[in-house]
Amino acid sequence: MNTVKTKMVILALLTMLFGIYACAHTASRAMQHPVELTTAPLCSDCHQDWRSAMDHTGDYLKRHRFYAQQQTQTCETCHKESFCSDCHAHKEELKPSDKFKDSVERTMPHRGDYLNQHKIDGRIDPASCMKCHGRSNNERCRLCHK
Amino acid sequence: MKNIQSHYDQQISRSALWSGAVTVVFLLSTLFIPTVSLAVTLSGDSSTYVQSREAADSSKILRVYEYLDFSVQNMGNETISFHTGGWLRYDLKEEEFGHKSANDLQYSYLSFKSKTDNTVVNLGRVMVFEGVAAERVDGLYARSDLMAGFGISGFGGSPVETGSDMPGNNVIYGSRLSHQYGDVYRIGISALKEEKDSQDYRREEGIDIWVHPIEKVDLTGRSSYNDVTKGWMEQSYALMLGPFEKLRLNGTASWIDYDNYFFRTTMSAFTLQSGLIQPNEKVRALGGEASYPITDQVLIAVDYKNFTYDIAGKADYFGGKVKYSVSGSGGAGISYHAMVGDTDKLKYNEYRIYGYKKFGHLNVSADLIDVAYVNAINGVKDSYSASLAAQYELAEAWKLGADVAYSHNPDFDKDIRVFFKVLYHFGAKGGA
Repeated sequence: MNTVKTKMVILALLTMLFGIYACAHTASRAMQHPVELTTAPLCSDCHQDWRSAMDHTGDYLKRHRFYAQQQTQTCETCHKESFCSDCHAHKEELKPSDKFKDSVERTMPHRGDYLNQHKIDGRIDPASCMKCHGRSNNERCRLCHK
Repeated sequence: MKNIQSHYDQQISRSALWSGAVTVVFLLSTLFIPTVSLAVTLSGDSSTYVQSREAADSSKILRVYEYLDFSVQNMGNETISFHTGGWLRYDLKEEEFGHKSANDLQYSYLSFKSKTDNTVVNLGRVMVFEGVAAERVDGLYARSDLMAGFGISGFGGSPVETGSDMPGNNVIYGSRLSHQYGDVYRIGISALKEEKDSQDYRREEGIDIWVHPIEKVDLTGRSSYNDVTKGWMEQSYALMLGPFEKLRLNGTASWIDYDNYFFRTTMSAFTLQSGLIQPNEKVRALGGEASYPITDQVLIAVDYKNFTYDIAGKADYFGGKVKYSVSGSGGAGISYHAMVGDTDKLKYNEYRIYGYKKFGHLNVSADLIDVAYVNAINGVKDSYSASLAAQYELAEAWKLGADVAYSHNPDFDKDIRVFFKVLYHFGAKGGA
């Protein structure tokens, strides 16, 4: 009986969603930003709506996850998938700051000798490590953290 | 344990095989379907890196990496595209991990994007960022606008994780329902479930918000709940104020319960049994940053973050920086930060100075970072690293780069690293 009820609820929800979807009629966002942006932009220079909150100020790296979890499509307007995977990788072996050592002006994690410093930062704020390394890590991590 | 790892490796291999199959099918389709072949736009980036350094056991490491990102767009229809990216590595000298080569398929999916309703359907190895989900999945991701400001998304498939030791089937799926009211607020509720060997491995739910109640005030953040341990994992919010005559004030507040937050990980360091993560610990972190551009080219900023633990005590991180930049020409920066933990072992001062300059087709940059520990580590009180980098634009599509880094730190008396790169872009431009 429970299975039948569950199926009925799912069917009703799907019907309702289809009905709601059929009435949406919103225009999709631009697939690509009309102007190529070469430096971290202040979106509010041009956009006065909700997009102005996405100004890429100096501390944007620390809170970019909040926008990504709500607005991936907006990120994709300017950034290709590889921009995310440069840092958010599965078994990445190269630090982003090694791949982009010439981009010294960019905010980037783990610059310089981070091998030793990660022991301190990891004790003080392990949750910040967990976000990227909790379920995606590499063989060098496991040389010590077996 | 080896059998379990082997089983996991087989699962990873199956997942990679599945994503690889998607890749091959769509690359072949561009070749063998004439109507598609004529319409497609190909673009991509090849990044070849050669890294020379010394490993911790003094062996010499010389590695070549090839990163390839490739897109096929306008596949007979401008709403359909295909994207793939991955890397492979080959050791030219000694092996650090007991094998000569490694590789990873980072993403590989066929994408449909509708011109209406922001409908997206991605199939293959996809990255999903939706509410509580920040996952890499071999499977399906879809989202769409609904009416009256509502939106919905969902995903499902096999999780792509590193070093899991759970045998059996691997399934992950989740969804997010959101509502946006113009420029005033956006709120979402989301959930995900991950099963391993038919057991609930993760069950997480969350609420994410962005609120813009009045001009110059934005609040965004997320709360996430662990439905397996029945406790809140994290509350994390950021408040942005300004600009007030160019002055921006940003604040962050977060609260994390270690027992719920570190419940599932594939890295031993993050387990509650590791001795590194304190069980029953809870941490509250409050921070803020104030930034002000003195001129169009000079910006100053100060920041502060305080950590308060139920068990371990307190820690403070604070500092400031000055940045100078001239668009398209060059710039420089200087910064100081201090970490002050509850013991001398957890205290350091960090200094950084950098500069970069463009000379025609040549870009050069220099960077110096010094970390001064309050307590010497392995007899070293000052850990510093200096790097020089140059990149030359041979043509619009070709760039050559090289850098050398010298470091003196608690692990290496003298660590010299050399890095070469050849970058090639082909096809249409656009996007970072």
